[in-house]
Amino acid sequence: MGNEKAFTIEKNDFGRLLEHLLKKYRVFGPTQRGLDATFNEIKTNDQLFLDYVSTVLPPKKFFHPPRLELFSFDLHQKHVKIEEIKQDEKTLLLGIHPCDVHALLRLDDFFLGEFQDPYYQNRRKNTVLVALNCIEPSDYAFCNSMGTGPFLEEGYDLLLTDIGTKYLIEIGSDTGQNILKGIQLENATTADFTEKNHRFKLLEKRFKRFINTSWLSKIAQENIDHEVWERLGEQGGVSGSLPCLSCGQCSLVCPTCYCYDVYDTLDLSLKKGKRIRELDSCQLLEYGEVAQGGNFRPNRKDRIRHWMLCKLGVAAGGQQSSCVGCGRCIRTCPVGIDITEVAKVLRGE
Amino acid sequence: MSNDLKPHMAIVKDITIENSNTKTYVLEFADKQQHKNFTWDPGQFMMLSLFGVGEAALSISNIPEDGLISTTIRAVGNVTKKIKELKKGDTLGMRGPYGTGWPIKEAKGKNILLIAGGMGLAPLRGVINHIAIKRNNFGHLEIIYGARTPNDMIFTNQFRDWYQIEKSRLDLTVDGIPPGTPWEGKIGLVTSCFPAMKTRPQNSVALVCGPEVMMRFVAKCLETIGFKENQIFLSLERRMKCGIGKCGHCQLGPKYVCKDGPVFPYRDIKPYINPL
Ligand SMILES: Cc1cc2nc3c(=O)[nH]c(=O)nc-3n(C[C@H](O)[C@H](O)[C@H](O)COP(=O)(O)OP(=O)(O)OC[C@H]3O[C@@H](n4cnc5c(N)ncnc54)[C@H](O)[C@@H]3O)c2cc1C
Ligand code: FES
Repeated sequence: MGNEKAFTIEKNDFGRLLEHLLKKYRVFGPTQRGLDATFNEIKTNDQLFLDYVSTVLPPKKFFHPPRLELFSFDLHQKHVKIEEIKQDEKTLLLGIHPCDVHALLRLDDFFLGEFQDPYYQNRRKNTVLVALNCIEPSDYAFCNSMGTGPFLEEGYDLLLTDIGTKYLIEIGSDTGQNILKGIQLENATTADFTEKNHRFKLLEKRFKRFINTSWLSKIAQENIDHEVWERLGEQGGVSGSLPCLSCGQCSLVCPTCYCYDVYDTLDLSLKKGKRIRELDSCQLLEYGEVAQGGNFRPNRKDRIRHWMLCKLGVAAGGQQSSCVGCGRCIRTCPVGIDITEVAKVLRGE
Repeated sequence: MSNDLKPHMAIVKDITIENSNTKTYVLEFADKQQHKNFTWDPGQFMMLSLFGVGEAALSISNIPEDGLISTTIRAVGNVTKKIKELKKGDTLGMRGPYGTGWPIKEAKGKNILLIAGGMGLAPLRGVINHIAIKRNNFGHLEIIYGARTPNDMIFTNQFRDWYQIEKSRLDLTVDGIPPGTPWEGKIGLVTSCFPAMKTRPQNSVALVCGPEVMMRFVAKCLETIGFKENQIFLSLERRMKCGIGKCGHCQLGPKYVCKDGPVFPYRDIKPYINPL
């Protein structure tokens, strides 16, 4: 059975698909930077690094940028002129992995629920997602445990799967369907799907990290006084880690960490300026500061606990800011804190 | 699509000096239509902006029936110190109202106990004004107000009116008195007013606002004398960067203070107001 909604393209012909996409969109995709991969603008096929394992920063940077100008203001008149700074460019994100798509679906719920965030919405609305199923789990990933990978089932416009010498291309939305208009592609065959399933089964066995999610949120919620927090934050560490340094890297690389700070800047005239928002982290001491030298999370223990609880779905963001198992925080943590190990301790394993 | 983060221009219509560091500002949206449609519940707050300086969360300290919006602001930092320099006719940015107000509907027919510390009286003034004009809708009204010194109190020019509210009692206390300051009220923490307190738990609600340590003590004391966790309401303060549940800064356990509060039944936040 051929699937009318699916196509294939030979890997060595991929440039043709890219050229087709570039006609309509600014394309961003994985590129190789030293030993790492990062999402960057793609102009030619040789820049693309589709065999990447994970990127340093998640694609969150395109939708909820690390630093974003909200609006400009002009103080020349008493009635201050305020102008929203918009981004309306049509873009396409090529090669985004399943866990990162799931993270976006959560951020969608977060930013587009009550009090919609027009900045996020604009970027999201103007961006097409061409997802790519994983080829190899990173040493740190546990998306398989979280139900967010290594293969994707929802949330994409187009979905690519490496099936040997070619990519299988599946369509997930009308937008996805329209994008493929005007390019000649092979129809996918039953054999192509068999190959996809076969690869999925092999891939599942290659994970090195796991997390048992059953009742995990509840367990975490009921253990806010657990001794593990003291070990994580102040003394002892967990499963070979050192205590947290409160550096905030985990928040920066987390695809669902949404917290931000807001401040104003003025130009040299002191009459014109901008309001800026910048990614923030609950790990930083200043985050919980209040009047007269007070702080709601003065100890590292309070802060790392808050972060862990947030990732386990029991902070104010609920599931919307919870972990998708990408493993970036484990990879980046300078003292080796591993959320999968913390979960084990909480479960008493 | 509307942008909640973009402030609207507002004009300072009037300023009252409360004490050396605090003033009450009467504000009006520059857009007349917007002003006409604007309403709120006592206990809700606004985000006020001085462009180039920043934004701060400030409670509305009056009731919609007054027509204009009042906020009472203590100058403590970047934004609030600049606001202190504003004059009548000056402009600033304003957005809101945000958060949940005091449970005035649920409090109908009940005795009301208000306990405020320092600036905590600001979000409660609307409740007092509301009760004063809808006097028959409520039972006994008792106000316990404490401040560090008599010079730190706000709304002192209204105490006389409050003493006159039928079926009510006003008790004032200060932590200490600077030499030469006249003072006729009590000396001690707000909890030192408890022995003389008239309100009994039955058919009553307690609305509490002040520094968080004070609220913890007050809530504990109220529980000891028989108030249930769902009869006590606290208004919490966090350093708010958005006011709409997006920046994360006000998180308290599984809640956002800006959106799920700032007013909470004690029951809902008790496990979390030891710092989390
Ligand atoms: C819901 C709500 C209602 C409030 N209502 C009032 C009110 O009616 N009147 C009033 O005077 N104040 C009120 N506040 C407090 C007010 O928001 C802060 O005083 C203000 O944000 C300080 O801003 P700033 O730029 O002047 O100070 P900054 O320069 O930002 O800070 C100065 C100092 O104040 C501390 N601080 C900053 N923000 C807060 C905060 N939110 N809570 C505690 N400490 C803070 C800082 O850590 C620093 O030590 C309210 C706060 C909240 C959350
Ligand atoms: S103030 Fe930003 S989330 Fe509450």
